[in-house]
Amino acid sequence: MKSKRKKRQDDFQKVKLKVGKKKPRADNATNTTFRSKGINLSEQLKRESGPTTHRQLGINDLVSQLHHYNGNVKQSALNGLRELLVKNPTLLEQHLSRLVSEVAAVFTDKDANVRMAATRLLRFLAQCVPAERAAPFFPLLSAHLSCAMTHIETGIQEDALKVLDVMLEHYPALLASRPSVLLTNFLELISHRRSSSTGGSKKPLDTKERSWALSVNPNKAVTGQQWRLTVLFRLGRFLQAVVEERPTEDRDMCVPSEGVFGSDKEGGMTPLDLNWEELTYSRTEVKVYENSGARPTPHSTFKLRPDVEPGAAVGEGLGSAEAVQNFAATLVPLLLEVWVEASATDSTWNSSEGANLIHPDAMSIMFQVLSILQQLRKLAPHRDQQDILDAWFRSEYLDNFKQHFMKNFPYGALDAPKQKKKPDLKRMKQVPAVTGPTVEPLGLNITLCQVMVALSQRQDAGPDKDVEWLLPLRTFVRDTLANGMKLSYKQLHMLLDAVWKLALKERSRAVTEDLLAAVYIHYQQRNLTLQTRSLLLSFFSKIYQQEPGHTHIARSKVLGRWLAALPVQLCQLGHRNPALSARLILSIQAAASRGNKDLLSSLQSNACRLYDPQEGAAVLLPAQSQQRMIQLLYFLPHLPHTLLVSLSRCCTAGRISAGLAASLIRIVHLRSSLSGWSMGSQGAALQDVDYVSFLFSTLTGFSSEDLAALQDAPDDSTIPPSLLSPLSLYPTLLEQFTHHWDVVEEVCHCLETLGSQSQCFDILQNAICKYLCKLAVVPDSLAAGLLRAVSRLLELSVPPSEAVLRFLAQCCLSLLALLVTLQQEAPSETTHKREAIWSACVSALCSVPRLLRTVLQSLRVGDLCEEELPQLGQMLVLILQHSPLRSHLLVNTALLQHVIQDLTRYSHGETREQWLTDLLYCYSVTMAHASTTHRGNLGLRDMY
Amino acid sequence: MSAPVMEVILSTDCSSPLVNCSVLDLLSGASLLSYRGGSTSSRGLTLLDQRHLLGAQLGRNFINVWDVQRKDQMQQKILCPGVVTCLASSPNGLYLAAGIAESLYLWEVSTGCLLAVLSRHYQDISCVQFTDDSSHFITGAKDNLALVWRLASVIQLDQGPSPDPLHVLSRHSLPITDLHCGLMGPQARVASASLDQTVKLWEVCSGELLLSILFDVGIMSVTLDPCEYFLFCGGSDGNIFQVSLCSQSLNRDQTFQSDSDGNQVFKGHRNLVSCLSVSMDGTLLLSGSHDETLRLWDIQSKQSIRCFTQKGHVTNCAIMVAPANMLAPLGSAAAAAPLPRFQRHLASSQHAEGQDSGEVCLRLGLYTQEEETTYLQKTEKLFSLMTSVTDKTVSGGGEEMRVAELEDEVRTLKKINKDLYHFSSHLLTKP
Repeated sequence: MKSKRKKRQDDFQKVKLKVGKKKPRADNATNTTFRSKGINLSEQLKRESGPTTHRQLGINDLVSQLHHYNGNVKQSALNGLRELLVKNPTLLEQHLSRLVSEVAAVFTDKDANVRMAATRLLRFLAQCVPAERAAPFFPLLSAHLSCAMTHIETGIQEDALKVLDVMLEHYPALLASRPSVLLTNFLELISHRRSSSTGGSKKPLDTKERSWALSVNPNKAVTGQQWRLTVLFRLGRFLQAVVEERPTEDRDMCVPSEGVFGSDKEGGMTPLDLNWEELTYSRTEVKVYENSGARPTPHSTFKLRPDVEPGAAVGEGLGSAEAVQNFAATLVPLLLEVWVEASATDSTWNSSEGANLIHPDAMSIMFQVLSILQQLRKLAPHRDQQDILDAWFRSEYLDNFKQHFMKNFPYGALDAPKQKKKPDLKRMKQVPAVTGPTVEPLGLNITLCQVMVALSQRQDAGPDKDVEWLLPLRTFVRDTLANGMKLSYKQLHMLLDAVWKLALKERSRAVTEDLLAAVYIHYQQRNLTLQTRSLLLSFFSKIYQQEPGHTHIARSKVLGRWLAALPVQLCQLGHRNPALSARLILSIQAAASRGNKDLLSSLQSNACRLYDPQEGAAVLLPAQSQQRMIQLLYFLPHLPHTLLVSLSRCCTAGRISAGLAASLIRIVHLRSSLSGWSMGSQGAALQDVDYVSFLFSTLTGFSSEDLAALQDAPDDSTIPPSLLSPLSLYPTLLEQFTHHWDVVEEVCHCLETLGSQSQCFDILQNAICKYLCKLAVVPDSLAAGLLRAVSRLLELSVPPSEAVLRFLAQCCLSLLALLVTLQQEAPSETTHKREAIWSACVSALCSVPRLLRTVLQSLRVGDLCEEELPQLGQMLVLILQHSPLRSHLLVNTALLQHVIQDLTRYSHGETREQWLTDLLYCYSVTMAHASTTHRGNLGLRDMY
Repeated sequence: MSAPVMEVILSTDCSSPLVNCSVLDLLSGASLLSYRGGSTSSRGLTLLDQRHLLGAQLGRNFINVWDVQRKDQMQQKILCPGVVTCLASSPNGLYLAAGIAESLYLWEVSTGCLLAVLSRHYQDISCVQFTDDSSHFITGAKDNLALVWRLASVIQLDQGPSPDPLHVLSRHSLPITDLHCGLMGPQARVASASLDQTVKLWEVCSGELLLSILFDVGIMSVTLDPCEYFLFCGGSDGNIFQVSLCSQSLNRDQTFQSDSDGNQVFKGHRNLVSCLSVSMDGTLLLSGSHDETLRLWDIQSKQSIRCFTQKGHVTNCAIMVAPANMLAPLGSAAAAAPLPRFQRHLASSQHAEGQDSGEVCLRLGLYTQEEETTYLQKTEKLFSLMTSVTDKTVSGGGEEMRVAELEDEVRTLKKINKDLYHFSSHLLTKP
């Protein structure tokens, strides 16, 4: 006790302060007089793992910070990761698996900011990583996603939908390949599973007890309706992804699907070029045929690596029709309930007079409900199952649908009360931002049409009780199309789909006519985009092809009108839009091959414009369309004289290739009665006279006007006539020459197969006599072609007349002269031309009797000037060197000798020139050779 | 007695005054015999069941029928509702198909009953071909379409107004001129020739286009050799193009180029080649042309071996195994019975037919065919069988099997004992 007191006194000893004394130094005073220096261990401070954020944090630090308990740290770590990865994309490849697993783990974080950052990071990752590289991590991602979606906290559930958005945007295929779990999650988001024990069903209408009921959570920030809307929106997108990722089977074109009108694929599969490496990883499937391949079995699509892991239950997905049906059976009542609630809340403050006007919120809910229904229909794995599914929908829910959807059918937006029937596009009310896309009443109505029409039954299958509810649909479709309002491509596509189904299912002619007429009105609008126009075109052509088996379509007047308008449109279109023209031609061809009378008469009346050699579609369009245009000729009922004139000009003008010209000539040949191809009931399309004159004018290659113009052409464009070349030749371009040459070959072939050869030659001879003999200026291609034709068509029993012979001899001489000059000028470029000219001359000289003699006779050496002599010498050398001509020369020895003698006489140069030496040598060789074989050729003399 | 197997050439032309169809020896070229009367239109000749020769009269509405062994006189004429544009009989001899304008008429040969009139074509039918097992037939027409029909579904009794074709082959853009169907029944490939200068090869069972070859000229006739190594196409300019089908290229659309591997041109005819046929061993090619000649070619060397001059455009020519009684008549006992009267209209109602002397109609009902098990199902069954055996041996099933075996053995032993007993008792009680 005492000691304690004493101690206490020690502690609180009184400090005595005195003036003049220094303050004693405290015991614990720190001496601050020293100075320090830092030691830098710079090499130890250097970071080993490369790049860092601006906070000097590496990827390992950031990832480990994700496990921190503090939300802010986590958030900043996520932001830092994003920053790091933006700067250094290479890090992503190294650490992808870690990143994905860590980021996915924070989907379920309690802090909203962390979740938002995680979503942002995921979006960034998804942008950088392609789907095939993300595939191995996807089971993990989707597991975390479902975890988040089923989380007890509503905030996490909401944010999970954002994660889902990211995945839907970037990896729809991966998401769609494992639908089973997600679908259940979706259901759980808006409803709760009713346990069977407590489930005293409130509605006795339901035959089977429903195990799911809509749930309402009063704690949510948003209203129940809006929440449902967001969920349904995601569900719709997800189902769409599933549908789109289905392997497409485009083969059966008769079944309408979404892609039918738009795609212009001509059926058929790609050739089976299997590459095992590709097959291992790709989504291509091999179709296996069974039962001698008589039909493809539904489940025989073979994949080397199945999509689902062995653990996943296949049946729970949407792989089979039953599974889809089960899922639909759960979902559809929920959807109906959602809509009923939405419409009920709507009607509380809505007066009865505008029952068809609904609030935009309700409208967007309905739109989502309908689009999910639409996707559900498409979920059936195979086409045939789709019909079954439709029938099931019909049997189960038709009454419900009728009651809930059809009651106030053409819906309008609430704030446009004046226009009940016609929904106004301009005055759309703003819908809440959460709903995603804004919904307009037109789109809603169209979607409803499509859903409901799919439920309708074939008219012949049962009693037509559908009429009552189909009528407003039909009216709506017709009005929308016929009123000419602006429709987007997608809306039009949906409308046409509805029309298609209505037309095929309702077998009444009046209804179909009505609908088609509406589509036709829409089609006739002027300012349609190309895409829309071709959509409408293919709609019409597809529906035209449905004709067999649908008699009510077959005799449709609208279709007839449409077909009849096609050739006119083709005319008007000209060369402005080749793609559209090609589509038009395809449709025309399909109808023409079926012998449609409307089309054929229209085609006939427009034929002259279409095949105009200057601005007809046949010459302006690209080669592929040209070919089809030429094939169309076959189906024309008549080929009148005027058309043949145009066709002949088409052939010769060079606007279409020689091959196409040849096929044109062949088609005309087939349609003439002289071809021998059995015409059947079709009959010959053209008169023989016209046909022969067509062939002759094509052979000539130039119209009479052209030839007449050539006669007066200025001298510099032609080679002036001389004694050696008695005709003035008009040199054609090489291109034109070869084109003409090819056409001549084809014409000759047609003339050869005409029947009696002697008569044919007679006609040709007369024609030459009448039209060509008087010409003084002749194109070289015409001269060569003529010689070719005469030598091919010659009939020995009909000797050529004197006038023709003289003309041919003139041609021949002129061509030989041209040949000699060409040889001197440019030997390499004109090879083909020279060969053609030479072969034409030689074959004519060989085969046409007395031609050689006429040629030799017309050579008057005496009148030639000095410069022309070597030219003549070269011509003679050419002739002498050609061995097949030798026997013919032999017969005309006397003439030849005379010419040679004259030549030697007139070329009285001081030195014997080279060409003369050559000529004399060739002459002697020929004569020597000929004398040995002379005896064998005595018979030839009789020919002359 | 059996006649030696011998291949002959059957040919018809359009304007021979006396002979309608002449039969030539393939090897020697000697004329063996000729059938007289009328003239046959293009694609209008067919041999029915080795007994009758049928030829559609050119430009008239009847079909000439000869008994194969009585060449000198025509047996009868079948009146048809219109001019027959093409004619074919099923290889099993039960059905006769004739294209008349846009419709195909199908008769049952034994009764003459008109089974179906198929009017799915829009223009004249130009050719019709059966597969070699008579299960399918293919029609080609001038509306650019070729249709594959399943015979069984066409002749079904209780079907709607018009049966649908199995496949519509619609890739030609001008009339189809000829078809040729390969062997192997429904697994066959069929070649179609068209004026659009292409020949296309299709698969009958799936209707898929396998190959399309573009030529310079329209193709008027087409055939395949029995092994389907080559495709022969007769052009409208008289050339015959041989296309090798064994080439490695996977290109589906090809342009014909000669002298690339196996693709060759046979030159010789001066006018369009109207018909082609290959001999059984694939070495000889027969071609008939509108230049009034028949030519026989050696395929290996591409030479014309023989040329037969005819009186007019050749309308049909075919190499076929001579029916046994064609060259060595078996006497009147074996004479073919005349064909029944062929109906010209579809029987309007069933009961009218029933009254007709109690005929019984035998046709397939719809959907009576049993579904064949697929290969996949078969393999599954096999697999389950295999695994069941192993499963049994692995699990306790082995014991049961063993018990069953032992029981079997006991049973046989008992039987032997019993036999022994009977034998001995018989022996003992015998004397």
